[in-house]
Amino acid sequence: MSDQPSGGIGFASLPGVACPYVAPDPAETPLLKLRVRPLRIVLIGNPNVGKSLVFGRLTGRYATVSNYPGTTVGVTRGRALIGAEVCDLLDTPGVNALDGALSEDEAITRRIVAGPDADLVVQVADARNLRRALMLTWQIAECGKPMILVLNMVDEAHAHGIEIDTAGLAAELGIPVIETVAVEGRGLTELRTALTRPAAPLVRAEPGKDRVRWAHDLAVTFRRQRRRSVGRFQEWLNQAVRRPITGLPILVAVLYATYLFVGVFGAQTLVGLLEGSLFGKVINPAVVSTAGQLPPFARDFLAGDYGLITMGITYAIAIVLPVVTTFFLIFGFLEDSGYIPRLAIFSDRLFRAMGLNGKAVLPMVLGLGCDTMATMTTRILGTPKERLIAIVLLALGVPCSAQLATIMGILGGISFAALMTLFGVVLLQMVVVGFLAARVLPGDRSEFILELPPIRWPRLRNILRKTVQRVRWYLGEAVPLFLIGTVLLFSLDRIGGLTWLARVSRPVVSGWLGLPPKTAEVFVMGFLRRDYGAAGLFDLAHQGLLSGVQAVVALTVMTLFVPCVANLLMIVKERGPRVALAIFVFVTVVAVTTGTVLNHAFGLLHIAF
Amino acid sequence: MPLGCSISRFDEARPLSSLEPGAIGVVVRVLRDRADRADRLAALGVTPGARIHVLQTFPGIVFQCDETELAVERTVARSILIDIADRASGTRLATST
Repeated sequence: MSDQPSGGIGFASLPGVACPYVAPDPAETPLLKLRVRPLRIVLIGNPNVGKSLVFGRLTGRYATVSNYPGTTVGVTRGRALIGAEVCDLLDTPGVNALDGALSEDEAITRRIVAGPDADLVVQVADARNLRRALMLTWQIAECGKPMILVLNMVDEAHAHGIEIDTAGLAAELGIPVIETVAVEGRGLTELRTALTRPAAPLVRAEPGKDRVRWAHDLAVTFRRQRRRSVGRFQEWLNQAVRRPITGLPILVAVLYATYLFVGVFGAQTLVGLLEGSLFGKVINPAVVSTAGQLPPFARDFLAGDYGLITMGITYAIAIVLPVVTTFFLIFGFLEDSGYIPRLAIFSDRLFRAMGLNGKAVLPMVLGLGCDTMATMTTRILGTPKERLIAIVLLALGVPCSAQLATIMGILGGISFAALMTLFGVVLLQMVVVGFLAARVLPGDRSEFILELPPIRWPRLRNILRKTVQRVRWYLGEAVPLFLIGTVLLFSLDRIGGLTWLARVSRPVVSGWLGLPPKTAEVFVMGFLRRDYGAAGLFDLAHQGLLSGVQAVVALTVMTLFVPCVANLLMIVKERGPRVALAIFVFVTVVAVTTGTVLNHAFGLLHIAF
Repeated sequence: MPLGCSISRFDEARPLSSLEPGAIGVVVRVLRDRADRADRLAALGVTPGARIHVLQTFPGIVFQCDETELAVERTVARSILIDIADRASGTRLATST
């Protein structure tokens, strides 16, 4: 082990990490018996080691895979055929520890692994990080469950010059140790075989040895470091994205590329083809002429101003679908490259002023995909105060993919300055609110410690799979709500509700915000789904009903305005109804105030776009 | 664990926050003035014996600990004591107590 310079440094100088350990009695855990319920296998491991990939390989179900810690929030269940048995398989969020100060997700995983429901534990580990993995192995062993250790990503470990004596390690631990490359399916057959013969781990408690020392000693014994052969380009890129001199231009380039792909290609070219040509010239005229045969009520219901097809389906498929699809594609690429967490290095200081830390960049950027999902991801943040601030900021300022793209689609067509004004105002608003929240709310922020995933060239297959899954989710989630929204508007229109709404909200909408009265409808739609409202604005702008200034004001208010129903329900679920109500009121007030100020400022300064 | 045991070795150790980019060394100790921080670092592999390579110090501190790349704020880096590689190679002790 001469090439292990870290061998044998003074462990006794590490104070306080005591870990009382009682060895489990293997005889107490029968491995095979007739079961009342299927055998339950739990996948566990450090963050970003590929648990979801192994899960996908074993069950044939796709669990979202990305290249950053914390992709899996909550537990995913699936079924896998192991030997002759159908087993329940549980994919858990990544954990770094099972005792001490635990995050919400770590506590959930601990309960599952230690609880009576888990029959067999499969620890997935990054082969490059044996020492860290073994520290977790020790803690899993304390639960006394039969287990298997999977060393995943051995290909990358080999590229880093790391080799592991798997047989030696297996003998030492007394459990099967399997090498895999889950992304390519290598080693999965061996894993399936091993799953039929798990064993309780032999973690010998020697006096004076804690888990840190134990893991270190084992890693020194069974891990060999040879010459690295990592691609130079990869190393260079990793350096370039995190250094300010190169990193900031790269960030601008990434944003601009996103704008070109989503805002121009998606929101203008593709929407133009679908809405302008396919729906505008072929489908909708056909629907209108066919519906002309029906009684007037049915005709309007399907093909009128608020028709299910002419409005609901057109909005969902022709305006929003191209935009979310292009966004999810580029977003998946960024997720898998390992780029997003590196933004935390730049933004740490800014977020600290807002009572958060650089880690918050993850939920914020994910919010650009979908605020509802991102609200769940705030669980990775350290303290309740941080989670609350992040949830408020997501609800207030972060536009979701569909909304973002309709913003780009409308304002990109007016002027670049208009677009920058909107983003400037919204960002400023978020910073101010975050800054105040950091000082008003009780509690602390946690310290910034973030693991950066390796920079990788993304696999097209995974991006496509993820995009297909997300688009399917969008269709399942959004289209019904678009239809319900359309029916609601149709009914409101029939009973005169829309006229009433326009009249009641006129002082605010027309007086304060200077917008056409019809915009009130759009705001109602925006509550059902943000992107539905944005699509409504898109429609208004296309009909030439909005001036440049009005478009900027309307979109700013819409961006800041209340989160959609799904997001609000998620906030209720994560933080309770009182917090949700408070956020709702707060966000509405901020949105209307900002819009009013903006409207009058434009007027006073004679700004037009 | 009482302070003072083999204190002479800690004299040579420097906090991670004071190192330049490119510095290589070994973690000697992680201060436990905040236990939760030390636990989180330990879970990420920052424990005595781990090899450290400082990659960057501005705008945040980024370092590699064994095969894990970590970004931390300065306060955290201050609590990680490092034995710089060139000095460490000759004089390393097997165990301290």
